[in-house]
Amino acid sequence: MILAVISDVHANLEAFEAVMRDIEQRKADRIICLGDTIGYGPDPEPCLDLAEKTCEVKLMGNHEYAVIGKLSPQQINRTAKISLSWTQDQLADTAMPRITDLPLAASMNDLYFVHASPWEPDKWRYVLSPGEADAAFKHFEQRVCFNGHSHLPMIFAFGDNQIRRQAGHDFQPNEETRYIVNVGSVGQPRDNDPRACYVTYDTTEDEVSFHRVAYDISKAQHKMKQAELPAMLINRLQAGV
Amino acid sequence: MPEIIVKYDDKVIERIVTEKKRISIGRTNENDIVLENRGVSRKHAMIEFNNNAAVIIDNESLNGTFVNNRKVAEEVLRDEDIIMIGKYSLVYRTEASHQGQAVAGMDGTMVLNTKRQKEMLENDRVEREIVARYGGSVLLGEENSEFSEFKLDREVTTIGKAKFVHVRAKGLFLAGIQAKIVQEGASYALHNLGKTGKVSVNGEPVTRCVLKNGDLITVGKSAFKFVEGKQ
Repeated sequence: MILAVISDVHANLEAFEAVMRDIEQRKADRIICLGDTIGYGPDPEPCLDLAEKTCEVKLMGNHEYAVIGKLSPQQINRTAKISLSWTQDQLADTAMPRITDLPLAASMNDLYFVHASPWEPDKWRYVLSPGEADAAFKHFEQRVCFNGHSHLPMIFAFGDNQIRRQAGHDFQPNEETRYIVNVGSVGQPRDNDPRACYVTYDTTEDEVSFHRVAYDISKAQHKMKQAELPAMLINRLQAGV
Repeated sequence: MPEIIVKYDDKVIERIVTEKKRISIGRTNENDIVLENRGVSRKHAMIEFNNNAAVIIDNESLNGTFVNNRKVAEEVLRDEDIIMIGKYSLVYRTEASHQGQAVAGMDGTMVLNTKRQKEMLENDRVEREIVARYGGSVLLGEENSEFSEFKLDREVTTIGKAKFVHVRAKGLFLAGIQAKIVQEGASYALHNLGKTGKVSVNGEPVTRCVLKNGDLITVGKSAFKFVEGKQ
């Protein structure tokens, strides 16, 4: 079975559609979406629709959590606040119940899925340092956890009593090792590569692969300008920061 | 110290700076450099450092070890030599060539040491800068904290709900002084002085715990990250 794992679409429909075409070509059997499908970008509703149509599992991200009013204002930065109120205005009333019911985490056999850290998923902690990964590994039982949130494709491996960290790249998991795999971001990559990022896991071959997909960035930016979203959010797309 | 830059598809995935005399490379966890690909043998190769020389030795691996595209059994490495193992390339740099270079942080380049867990975080640029600015160990406010950075410059730093403590924490049923961080020689230890379960390190409740770099301390609803600085 080929599993595609996407995260942090951030209402970027151009990136999302390009990734979906790529996933189709790879003949993925199931698609998992780790949340933050909305926020920052110009197409929240169409992105929610596309996720609804294509993804078997859809998780709650901190941006969904904020839209339904569950995040306190001091937990949201200035540009995110602007995009949050814009997003809330765009979403039809019918979108809210869909978002409210999204789960914070999910599991499938030996795999665990969460938006941020497995350690209290509703605290939206980052998993970037070995200390943070150490805490995270204690809070799920499965062999491999896929997460997002930081927009940085990254692998933490826990085996032989130590934690190793590597930038995201294709690998074949060791049997005696547990992993946290950050799948990067579809709609707002921040690792200096502006192309959309997602991961596939081939369970037959036991292989995790990172994919980068070029998309029409200027079209997404044009829509954001028209929506008068903050310039910082528009400019970062072309640099991938 | 020499540096090994591990690349996959020409992208840097890990940097290793080592003080060891010998580092092993292979697919399984007991190696210093773990390359998780079936094209890599369990114990594929090793690099031995002797004075200023480094030698790569292939461990009779199935798919071989290559230096600058030439298959080798044993080869002296020169600065900027490229070792190819499976789909990975490892760039060897002598001390001289990377000394003084800024170490990249979270932005794509990963920094590891052979003493990985302890030293990994020290190399994260942002935290290194903070530690350098304060000249010692620092607490970073993560959640429900009144500060973003707090220098640990006392023998005892108190944490709790009371007005007179050094570090204020929030949460129901917290004691006035719920915890203290005590300087013990070169390290710091966190002590829970109140009800058990209210003080945790990396999600585990503790009564006393010697702090490691990057540890996440929670006291009630407040959370702090411990960043160790060289004294």
